[in-house]
Amino acid sequence: MAFQFEPSVVVETFPMLMRGLKLTVVITIGGLFFGFILGSIAGLMKISRNILLRKLAGVYIESIRGTPMLVQAMFLYYGVPMALGVRIPPIMAGIIVIAVNSGAYIAEIVRGAIQSIDPGQMEAGRSIGLTRSQTMRYIIWPQAFRRMIPPLGNQFIISLKDTSLLMVIGVGELLRTGQEIVAVNFRAFEVYMAVGIVYLVMTLGIAKALRALEQHLRVLPEK
Amino acid sequence: MIRIENLHKSFGSLEVLKGIDLHVRPGEVVCIIGPSGSGKSTVLRCINRLEEPTAGRIIVDGKDITDPKTNMNLVRAEATMVFQQFNLFPHMTVLHNVTLGPVKVRGLSSAEAEERGRELLAKVGLADKAENYPDQLSGGQKQRVAIARALALQPKVILFDEPTSALDPELVGEVLEVMKQLAREGMTMVVVTHEMGFAKEVADRVIFIDGGRIQEEGPPEAFFSNPENPRLRDFLGKVIAH
Repeated sequence: MAFQFEPSVVVETFPMLMRGLKLTVVITIGGLFFGFILGSIAGLMKISRNILLRKLAGVYIESIRGTPMLVQAMFLYYGVPMALGVRIPPIMAGIIVIAVNSGAYIAEIVRGAIQSIDPGQMEAGRSIGLTRSQTMRYIIWPQAFRRMIPPLGNQFIISLKDTSLLMVIGVGELLRTGQEIVAVNFRAFEVYMAVGIVYLVMTLGIAKALRALEQHLRVLPEK
Repeated sequence: MIRIENLHKSFGSLEVLKGIDLHVRPGEVVCIIGPSGSGKSTVLRCINRLEEPTAGRIIVDGKDITDPKTNMNLVRAEATMVFQQFNLFPHMTVLHNVTLGPVKVRGLSSAEAEERGRELLAKVGLADKAENYPDQLSGGQKQRVAIARALALQPKVILFDEPTSALDPELVGEVLEVMKQLAREGMTMVVVTHEMGFAKEVADRVIFIDGGRIQEEGPPEAFFSNPENPRLRDFLGKVIAH
């Protein structure tokens, strides 16, 4: 039996895919929101003068970057409840996994951006009587944040795609929804292609929005 | 105003300062000259505690800044620094650069700080640049903003670390002019410089540092016209012939 391309199945199932997409977006944004907080804290700890904080951040960053996100997701969803005796709802587990995972990468983005700021800026801040934390807040962080935007955008795209791995813990996100549709209509070619195109539209959109944002914020001279 | 006693500073095994004693009186302009690597900038940076002294005592405005109990942030605001590389805050307007310290450190309201900031920018000849960003200014203008930023804190002394060394030659004059005006108004200044003309004209006292020690000090007339120390003679010979 010859293969016949049936784009109409996509049209029929499109509302379902969109429901999956909604969850993908919610988990991505929620995960990155907490991931940014977590990453900022870990990144600042990594450059702290306190060796204990540096080590602690180092252990977090290395253990997350050194293990697959799939393992992290399954450990959190299946493993941790066995130890703690509480089940974590899949969506919450998904947000936690994305947050903890992206946080480790964002920590390195934050650390790198802060360290790329001329040490003279810290000295100038201190020399007018600001404390170390005031100088960080008013002088270093705003400059570093602008330099974080391109790599953060990159992380946004990576995390968006990584949410598809959460299908293994039963999160009904975009790919999982596609799989459920295929289980009913067996149109793997059309459905997975549609799923892929939806991801692509999202990531291209993010990339475009970021370019606009970068241009909007005054780009600082590199020195 | 500033009293330095037996200041030593080592970076690892390299001893940069080998016992500096220096006393700066209120209203005095002290210029520090010397070959590069002699430790002259390190002296300034120790006064501001940007560098931690290895040994010795530094008393700024009656406070022993080598005492760990001293609140360094307030001392820094009293003895603020103007840097060779300006170190303006590039993400803030010129005016904001000047008002940040007064608001955050001195507790002025933003209106008061802005008023003072605009006065000081006018004083350094940059009233019309208040809303510009630092990267829209020339080097000389940047350094004049940096001086206004220091003045905005109403410090007891300003430390200048080679303030004209990063400038194109034609821009040096405008910065020196502002510094001369400050000197005339009685500001206490410690200036590390290579501008011998400035030192000769403005300094109350010139100090020659070489090899981590003060080799010679005195009023500029005697200092430049009749140098006794052979290392100073050698140094001046090189600088002036240049």
